[in-house]
Amino acid sequence: MTVPLLRRRLYLALQTGVVGLALLTVLFPFFWIFLTSLKPPDLVARPDVWTFLPSAANWREVFLESDVPRYIANSLLVGVVTVAIALLVGFPAAYSFSRYGTGGGLARFAVLAAEMVPPAVLIVPLFLVMYRLALTNTLVAVIAAHLTFVVPVVTWFLIGFVDEVPRELEEQAMVDGYTRGQAILRVVLPAVRPGIAAAGIFGFVLSWNDMFYALILTGGASKTLPVAIAGYWTFRGIEMGKMAVAILLAVVPVLVASFFVQKHLVKGLGGGAVKM
Amino acid sequence: MAVEAEANGMAIPASRWGLRYRLLLPLTLTLGAVLLYPLLFSFWVSLHRYQLTRLQDVRFAGLRNYLKLFEDPAFWNAILNTLTFVFGAVTLELVLGFALALLLHRLPRFRHLARAMLLTPMFVTPIAVGLMFRFLLNQQLGVLPWLLEGLGIRIDWFGPGMALFSIILIDVWQWTPFMLLLLLAGLESLPKAPFEAARIDGASAWMTFTRVTLPLMKPVLLVAIVIRGLDAFKVFEYIYAITRGGPGGSTETILFYIYKVGFRFFRMGEAAAMAYVLVAVTLALVTLLYLLMTREGRRRS
Repeated sequence: MTVPLLRRRLYLALQTGVVGLALLTVLFPFFWIFLTSLKPPDLVARPDVWTFLPSAANWREVFLESDVPRYIANSLLVGVVTVAIALLVGFPAAYSFSRYGTGGGLARFAVLAAEMVPPAVLIVPLFLVMYRLALTNTLVAVIAAHLTFVVPVVTWFLIGFVDEVPRELEEQAMVDGYTRGQAILRVVLPAVRPGIAAAGIFGFVLSWNDMFYALILTGGASKTLPVAIAGYWTFRGIEMGKMAVAILLAVVPVLVASFFVQKHLVKGLGGGAVKM
Repeated sequence: MAVEAEANGMAIPASRWGLRYRLLLPLTLTLGAVLLYPLLFSFWVSLHRYQLTRLQDVRFAGLRNYLKLFEDPAFWNAILNTLTFVFGAVTLELVLGFALALLLHRLPRFRHLARAMLLTPMFVTPIAVGLMFRFLLNQQLGVLPWLLEGLGIRIDWFGPGMALFSIILIDVWQWTPFMLLLLLAGLESLPKAPFEAARIDGASAWMTFTRVTLPLMKPVLLVAIVIRGLDAFKVFEYIYAITRGGPGGSTETILFYIYKVGFRFFRMGEAAAMAYVLVAVTLALVTLLYLLMTREGRRRS
């Protein structure tokens, strides 16, 4: 065997080994949690048990005897409303930034910077305002809090996607007698539909995953799923199986969503940076 | 004409000039209400003695909340823990993410599948990640200590001296994928010509990496570091799920300490002052990011 060939084989082996190890590290925790969720309650606290007769007890209890379905509904509602508002205010703004260059590069960057405002500085006033308005422990409070980061992210994504739509499309439509408003709605909007979907899904994932704001602003029946999950750890072995189910319920929807957005994610994160 | 009409208070048709600002109005109003107003309100609170338990007795305190911070050892402890965390996590994520990106970039088969699976952690609810690892690493219940026991290794993952490092490792599990995502995209968009030239000149793999790949990737690497660093400052969920700042304050980070002072002790004024220190740090990093990104933009055009 020639030396270069040997080296190439060695490199391939190393490459496969490292990527394989990384995959194992990433996937094993999910596998273990899934396994735990299927364990009969008396086996959940036994790390040495890997094979057993699967039991639906944990799943049944979480779905039928706990408030988790309600918390899932809360999280869904918060995410959907937040994203809807973000798209409604974000798309027109993205069009303005992209086509008129409103405010220049600094304005584009301000949108990105808005997402980076530390939650620590926003939570105190948000809580105080909601407290005064008697809106703590309501979903309105969480929606307001989630708007602080979902609106900037969605807008940032959309700027990048609108940038990609050729101007000629709408100019042609306007030559054909459309007003600019009609051209935006009937030409630009359909052209950025994949971008809108990507931005919306990503915004939804961010809202769905938040615990910090929801922990402080909700309680009781208004809890979102992450806050409810945080309450599961009780050190009693029996709860662990139900915790595993709750974790999976929070994780699986976003993983499914992630496969849809991955393709657009890099472009989305790059957002309005290209023309800054 | 349009200006005249406007001055007369008459309704004007949608002119090119007016539309751009009208399209921006909803965004401006929304961000004004949920971001700008809270930012200003928070600053006002930071200048007052503001306790939720004594709302009838809010008094102007000048800079007293800020001065108090400097004498608060718990605040400095939280700052130090946070800096250790950010530095440790971002460094490990950068090295691992870059290494994985380089390997994945040239993976002959299953590249897209491997990428898709390796990216999954960054989408998972951080509180779920925290609880998952609290369970996985638990001395009695956890599968990892059990496996290591078989190898004769015993580690108290959340004990004194180890807890902050374990939290860093959890962050590495969740956010190395983000580095991988950005750096792999960076690698894929590099021009081919310099690599061809290096190959023709007979440069070794190491030389190609240090002299071609690294300089070309520098802008992407810097942006990735700053974005990840900014995000790492917000670490909260793992701490809340696992250690609640312990043992002995060794994992108390700045956001967790603010949460404790503001929403466990209800001393809002002090919490707001701490948050403003964080704003100053963030602002410095965001400015850096702006300079990096605009320089990159100019370089490309």
